[in-house]
Amino acid sequence: MRYSRLKIIFPIGLFVALFLDGSLSNVFAGRLFTYPYTSVLHLVLLWLVFAVFLDDRDDLATGIWAAFVGLVFDWYYTGIIGVYLISLPLIVYLCRQVKPWLDLNFLTLLMVYIINLTIVEAFAYTWYSLCDVVNSGLADFAVYTLGPTIALNLAIFVILYYPVRRLYFSVN
Amino acid sequence: MQKFFSNRKLVITIVVLIISFGLVSVSVAIRDRKSTPPLIQQFGNDVAGAVDRVVAWPTNGLQSATNSVSDLLNTYQENKKLKKQVDQLAQAKVNAQTMSAENKQLRKELKLNDSLSDYTSVTANVLTRTPSSWMNQIVISKGATAGIKKNMPVMSQSGLIGRIVEVNQTNAKVELISSTSSTANRFAIQITNKAGKTVNGIISGYDKGSNQLEMGSVTSNVKVKKGDKVVTSGLGGTIPKGLYVGTVAAIKTDDYGLASEVEITPAADLSDLTVVTVAEQ
Repeated sequence: MRYSRLKIIFPIGLFVALFLDGSLSNVFAGRLFTYPYTSVLHLVLLWLVFAVFLDDRDDLATGIWAAFVGLVFDWYYTGIIGVYLISLPLIVYLCRQVKPWLDLNFLTLLMVYIINLTIVEAFAYTWYSLCDVVNSGLADFAVYTLGPTIALNLAIFVILYYPVRRLYFSVN
Repeated sequence: MQKFFSNRKLVITIVVLIISFGLVSVSVAIRDRKSTPPLIQQFGNDVAGAVDRVVAWPTNGLQSATNSVSDLLNTYQENKKLKKQVDQLAQAKVNAQTMSAENKQLRKELKLNDSLSDYTSVTANVLTRTPSSWMNQIVISKGATAGIKKNMPVMSQSGLIGRIVEVNQTNAKVELISSTSSTANRFAIQITNKAGKTVNGIISGYDKGSNQLEMGSVTSNVKVKKGDKVVTSGLGGTIPKGLYVGTVAAIKTDDYGLASEVEITPAADLSDLTVVTVAEQ
């Protein structure tokens, strides 16, 4: 497959991931949001992290697409603009910065993904709690939201890592 | 790593964070206004909603398929139970029809045209749910073009589930009653006991642990028992009267011992929503 094909597949996949986040959350609401644990799907973040680390040419406009998808997320899902609009490009930027320092394999990528999940969730929590949208404590956040979220998303990461890597290998 | 936090980059980062925080606080501040969301955001949401319909269709299809399989497995027992209820229902229905006809006539004589309990309903599909632990919101497939306005109550088949918080042209956001944020609006409700006496109040909170609604600061002397029905009271004018909320689960005194607090089991299952009804007054 040619590289130019990836430039079309990447944004389409990004938006499919965005809308799957929402509709899977709705379909599995009984399992994902059962008291006291809430696990949040982060397929968009996963797709972005894969794009930054698995694409060797670094030729995709990942940062701009991340800002755009973040804007749509804020508009469409929460109605509070500025949280994902900033945090997703921030993640892309940070990943770009650490990429040259890492020996890329399954485990390092898994670790980076855990850190990214923590940053995004903590960013959202901080911003929402500063604006009085959230009023739960930091300990509750860490135990009941962050933990299950990381567990769920790591499972999805493990399932999707090899298929997506094959996709990127075939174009590079 | 030295260049990582060079002076210029640090300044840019801080500026970006300040802009982000500014955007968040502005959008939280203007969220409750009538004019929001602005036209461009509405347009963006309409486009997103249209694309979402394509993606949501197979996943929602999957959900309804699994639902129908589990329905099929329960059919026999359910059928037995329902047969018993049907006979009583026919009676109740005829009774209700004569009552409502009589009610209409009496109202005509009193020249009362609009009553609190009149409403028309719009049925909508649930498109998606906000993938966030902080917001209990769903997006439904009808918007301003179907006559939906802000603050209208939303029900599932069995009972009240929330209210409209944002309206676009072809879709709308619903904040569920399980929302615990301090900015959430509250519903005016009333409890009717076996003797026909009523207690008015508002839904003051939601207990995630027991999955129950709370009605606080109740100082009335009317005795309320477990199992009494709770409906919206229509006070305040934006919500019709008589929308079913749930049943009383327990009554206890509040932390200060002055007033009592009623716990209500909601009739609707908030984790399994596919079709909802919006009530327009």
